[in-house]
Amino acid sequence: MSKQNSQPQASKAPSIYPAKLKTQVAMIFLAILAFYLFSMFWTQNQMTGGFNNALSNMKQVAEKFFPPNTSVVSNVWGPLSQTIQMAVIATTVAAVLTVPLALLSARNITTSKSLYLSVRTFMNVLRTIPDLVLAVVFVGLFGVGVFPGILALIVFSLGILAKLISETIEAVDMNPLEAMRASGGNTLQVIFYGLVPQVLPQFTSFVLYVFEINIRASVVLGLVGAGGIGLILDRELQFYNYPNAMAIIIVIFFVVITIEYISSKIREALV
Amino acid sequence: MIEFKNISLVYPNGTEGLKNINVTIKDGEFVVIVGLSGAGKSTFIRSINRLVTPTSGELYVDGENILTYRKNDLRQLRTKIGMIFQNYNLVNRSNVLKNVLAGRLGHTNTLRSILNLYPKDDVALAYESLERVNIADKIYNRADELSGGQQQRVSIARALTQKPSYILADEPVASLDPPTSHQVMTYLRKINKEDRITTLVNLHFIDMAMEYADRIIGMRAGEIVFDGPVSEVSEKTFEEIYGRSIREDDLLEGADKS
Amino acid sequence: MAEYNLPPKTTVSWQKRIKAVFIALAVVALYLWTFLGIDIEWGRAIERISENFGVVIPKLFNPDWAVTREVTAKIMETIFIAFAGTLMASILAVPLGFLAAKNMTHPVIALIGKWLLSANRSFPELILAILFVAAIGPNAFAGVLAIAIHSTGMLGKLYSEVLESIDMQVVEAMEANGANKIQILFHGVLPQVIPEFLSYAIYRFEIDIRASSVLGIVGAGGIGTMIIFASMNRNWNEMGLILLAIIIVVTIIDTLSAKIRQKIV
Repeated sequence: MSKQNSQPQASKAPSIYPAKLKTQVAMIFLAILAFYLFSMFWTQNQMTGGFNNALSNMKQVAEKFFPPNTSVVSNVWGPLSQTIQMAVIATTVAAVLTVPLALLSARNITTSKSLYLSVRTFMNVLRTIPDLVLAVVFVGLFGVGVFPGILALIVFSLGILAKLISETIEAVDMNPLEAMRASGGNTLQVIFYGLVPQVLPQFTSFVLYVFEINIRASVVLGLVGAGGIGLILDRELQFYNYPNAMAIIIVIFFVVITIEYISSKIREALV
Repeated sequence: MIEFKNISLVYPNGTEGLKNINVTIKDGEFVVIVGLSGAGKSTFIRSINRLVTPTSGELYVDGENILTYRKNDLRQLRTKIGMIFQNYNLVNRSNVLKNVLAGRLGHTNTLRSILNLYPKDDVALAYESLERVNIADKIYNRADELSGGQQQRVSIARALTQKPSYILADEPVASLDPPTSHQVMTYLRKINKEDRITTLVNLHFIDMAMEYADRIIGMRAGEIVFDGPVSEVSEKTFEEIYGRSIREDDLLEGADKS
Repeated sequence: MAEYNLPPKTTVSWQKRIKAVFIALAVVALYLWTFLGIDIEWGRAIERISENFGVVIPKLFNPDWAVTREVTAKIMETIFIAFAGTLMASILAVPLGFLAAKNMTHPVIALIGKWLLSANRSFPELILAILFVAAIGPNAFAGVLAIAIHSTGMLGKLYSEVLESIDMQVVEAMEANGANKIQILFHGVLPQVIPEFLSYAIYRFEIDIRASSVLGIVGAGGIGTMIIFASMNRNWNEMGLILLAIIIVVTIIDTLSAKIRQKIV
């Protein structure tokens, strides 16, 4: 997108961008704008009272939520630890299961094209389903509790993690692996000696990243009955106990921020 | 002893890598293979440890046709052939000792090697190999902290740690400057003489080939066009191998000057 | 080869050892706390799955085509929510991104900007949606606002990182030319960052499609509304169709988005 902003010499000076590009950009811009306006219209048309009403409503709501009722905070720690524990377990299991899946979906390791493609496609489909939808389905299958929540987190994070790590594997330097094969190493040895040292830092970093995602996801799993702090939040909301709900939200907020901060510091130190 | 009998290799895309090669390498020889890039030097060398597999003919190493080898036989074969690469092929993030110990992979069972539990003898052997190429003081440095010449010496140590009967070196000095190149070639030559390890080296610098080889094999377009002791080689021989007159950049010293 | 010398042992500094031990202890403690603290009710889960497996799974794979129209309408609404939310965010994030970029503002302002964006991001969409549903009622626009606010935090951070990585020499050259701040912004800075800004915004749309498909769980519109009803009524045939619709729409949007992003950058 570099351009020379030269002095116009005469009336025949060329325009900076070709005319065709200009119309193209204008058309795309108009299409986006139109779609946006339509989206806004559609999403607002069920709103009773319209936009202005909503604004004044906001003020009322702020009054409903504040001040938060700090007395519920002491009841929050149990479910909150459950939330974090769910994320820890799910991340660990996903990290272990990722290893074979990432190897199978890395083009430079899995030489069988059909195997590689089918694993890839499976992972791609898996990644399209949002975590909470998985949780709804698993709650339907396993009943209310932490188990369906953990399972949903595992499946969801597995999709992300396997993709990230298989991409890392595809980017490694294959030369040392050739050297190990030349000196008589078998497949497992070649992977452990040539591949593992090259991907380990990124692997750890991605696992921590997925842990952050899992923490954020597990906070809301309770809304569909899949365990953790969301369960309490859901209850308070059902009874319109807004000050209690606000207190819980604030606690969640600080815990999430703290965990993310620690995790991102560790990740910075790793890479 | 290595024996090529009517060896040909056609790559899946149709390129002919090797055309009907017949050659015998005797034990303890120091053979340099010369030729332009694309002449098939690399394919020739890599056939011996089956990093590439010839499509027809027979290839004997120590009297056995290695083209019939599968899995375990192949591993056995590779443990007795050390290989040195143009780009050193070390694991950058691992330390020197671990890189050298990788040479023992073929001799170590999988579980032990994964848990890093090498027999003491193997560690000692790795250390001795590093001493032989004068780089023992760097054992705990990461491989990417070393210079090119040092990395190539580590990769020689890795090959030595295999206790090989053969060493294959695929353009070992192509990424190095002249003084370091001579150093690396001197080590290869020394090891060849001291341990009587049969050594095959691909080179494209004529003067280097003349200085270190016992025997020179010239390749052009997948065929052997010259094979004889260094004493029989003249400038004319090289002109035949290269199919053109010799230029300055065919010489290491010449390449340095430019 | 009778005698070998073993290599000298490594000398690892005390600090490093203490650090390693500390990390190991922390990890062990985390796992102890986790596995001793959590009660996964295996018995109940196994009991339920043995009852449900044969009933639920076949139904999931046998979608109820009768609700196709309804599902289509709701999935369109999901797309509208994501689109409106992402577009709002991608515009709102521009000034915030500039505020949070070290090389564009005063470092102290940049730090405050980063903190604000980070705080913003830490509210999951669904929690924001709860707040907005309480404020403006259970409708799709609450979803739009939730998506917009959360994405603004995410995009603002990415934008600021893009800005911090630009080639400042171009800017310097323009300053030397005598260009004023606004001119530098439009001719020196924006041309460098617009492709990446666009690319991130489009990528964000991919994420927001997934996010907006669950907003209905708290009443903020989209396909999520149907998900929660289907699960309450245990209507797994309908759920099958909903899942299928999500998979198809998300796949199409991911593919398109990847294509467009490739073209832009």
